Amino acid sequence: MTVTSNAAPLLALRNVTVQFGGLTAAHDVTLDVTDGQIAAVIGPNGAGKTTVFNCVTGIYAPSSGTIEVRGRDIREPLTWLVLGKSLGIGCIFGLALMLGVNAQILWDASINQLYVYEQQFDWAAAGAAFVSTLRSQDSSLTWGIFIFGSLLAAAGSFTMWQRTRHTPYTAVHRKIARTFQNIRLFRSMSALENVLMGMQSVHRSHVVPALLRTKHFAQQERIRREEARELLDFVGLSDVEHTLASALPYGSQRRLEIARALASKPNLILLDEPAAGMNPSEMAALTALIAKIRDRGTTVLLIEHHMKLVMGISDHITVLEYGEKIAEGPPDAVKQDPKVIAAYLGDTHNDH
Amino acid sequence: MKRAQIDMQLAALLGILAVVPIVDSVLPTALQVTPLMPPVLIFALVGLGLSVATGFTGLLHLGVAAFVAIGAYTFAIVTCSIYPFQIPWLCAVLLAGLVGMATGALLALPTMRLRGDYLAIVTLGFGEIVQDVLRNLDAITKGTQGINPLGGPTIVSFQAPLSTATRWYYLVLFILALVAFLMQRLLQSPTGRSWLALRDDELAASCMGVNPARTKLATFAVSAGLCAVAGALLASFLGSSGEPSNYDFQVSIMALSMVIVGGLGSIPGAILGAIIMVGINSIVLAKLADWLSNVSTGSSNVLLSPSNWKYMIFGLALVLMMRFKSEGLMPPRQSGGK
Repeated sequence: MTVTSNAAPLLALRNVTVQFGGLTAAHDVTLDVTDGQIAAVIGPNGAGKTTVFNCVTGIYAPSSGTIEVRGRDIREPLTWLVLGKSLGIGCIFGLALMLGVNAQILWDASINQLYVYEQQFDWAAAGAAFVSTLRSQDSSLTWGIFIFGSLLAAAGSFTMWQRTRHTPYTAVHRKIARTFQNIRLFRSMSALENVLMGMQSVHRSHVVPALLRTKHFAQQERIRREEARELLDFVGLSDVEHTLASALPYGSQRRLEIARALASKPNLILLDEPAAGMNPSEMAALTALIAKIRDRGTTVLLIEHHMKLVMGISDHITVLEYGEKIAEGPPDAVKQDPKVIAAYLGDTHNDH
Repeated sequence: MKRAQIDMQLAALLGILAVVPIVDSVLPTALQVTPLMPPVLIFALVGLGLSVATGFTGLLHLGVAAFVAIGAYTFAIVTCSIYPFQIPWLCAVLLAGLVGMATGALLALPTMRLRGDYLAIVTLGFGEIVQDVLRNLDAITKGTQGINPLGGPTIVSFQAPLSTATRWYYLVLFILALVAFLMQRLLQSPTGRSWLALRDDELAASCMGVNPARTKLATFAVSAGLCAVAGALLASFLGSSGEPSNYDFQVSIMALSMVIVGGLGSIPGAILGAIIMVGINSIVLAKLADWLSNVSTGSSNVLLSPSNWKYMIFGLALVLMMRFKSEGLMPPRQSGGK
């Protein structure tokens, strides 16, 4: 499976705070997820559990604090290549803008004035006319526009990069996958295709082989389908691979989401209330499935309200209330914690 | 299984189109449609282009006419004898497609974070800007005169048993079939799947590793490229780039109506939609006008001129479609059979 370095935890949140305007959804949350565990985050509604998940998967950016995957910042590193790309885009845009602004004059001088109908065209003369016209233009219309356009586009593309340093699609390349509290399957696709979509980050596929349907592409596609079928089988959905995702029963949709997340071969899978709306027998099957996922070598971090499920399978529990961590530890310790009982278990003593 | 059914629909549609000129040859001249068909098929290509952005990826695009114009003008500039370039026909069509792709990507850059209504407004504005630019850049585009004369490909002009119109017809049909075929393949590849996923759920798609910005850029570029190729074919067929106002908002709306009537996100649907909507406009109404002018002489009632009916018919078609078959005549797989 994966090579684990004992030094750094698989996922580490360091003093993560998330603010939306005046509202603090998560405050100073520090959390470690160790390899091979089933870890859980619990807390009353609005405690900031999903916010923490969204931070990890790049849907929100933390207002302060850092998130590390195996000791490395989860954000894309700033490299020379990024700067080079921004500059390159800037230069191309600047050049295009400059030519666009002077298009009429340049065209007139190099084409309209030199081309005689149906006569041989002297390209060298046209090139010379082009350059001399450009030179004779006011420098604010040439260099000025070029520099303005270059700076604008370079700054724009750099800002764009900065905003996308940590996004859902970069998180998945850090081997973190997730499911959603409110199911977000691709409704118009079959179960199998949903799982195939989950592989998007693992299998790089290019357009031209797909269009030509090369042997290599067909083979890759066959392997992908085979893997997807195995995953459907793993979550117990092998009989519905061609059924539309939106036509599946609720419990199966939840399991399909798990299969889709597993398709990206994650080291860590985040399950956001996987048992919501499930009946007791479905829940028992889910508990077994989560244990199976861990045994496969994928670390699990889950949010859950069903205490029986959480206490039964978790190795480590973190309790949040009003965006702050109030307790953490193994299930038995958390269960005894007076703060937790007051905040959470106390309210639901007559269990649901 | 359902996918095979869609392939069958496409094959049947193209098969029927392939025999049209043969059927035509036994009909009386007044009923022959082959000479009027190439623009219809070219519009089907625009419909396929729009399908990429609107049908597959779910980005409402109201500016496709701009890319048709860009394709037509690019083709005109590089082939017309008033300019020194005069490159071969096929190269010019491909170049038009590339220029269309580049401008499509350019339009996508500032719109990557937009969706729905906002994107529609931006694309609409882009369509207007392109018209104005073409009108005012008159040193290059000859303003409202348009660039002419333009030629067709050698394959259409040499002497052969088939008439020029028939050869044009088969040329355009071949290009259309090729594009439809490649598109079908693309949809069954990871690239195409990521487009559909983006339409279904952008957040979930990006959690699967799809970069939404890059994907939107790609679909806009492909969409614009196809529209530009259609524009180049149209200019070549008509022998002129036409004037900028030929590529106005109505063209974009007509393209949108086509894909909605045919079935949003369906490849055979876009082709069928084009045949119905453009066919009504340029074939049925034109034939009807000929016939009426023969029957009634001297009447100046506006209703007796069928070309005045077209927007009424388009509007009516859209209203009826929305009411009775909102998924279109040939809906894509997901809404069929359930």
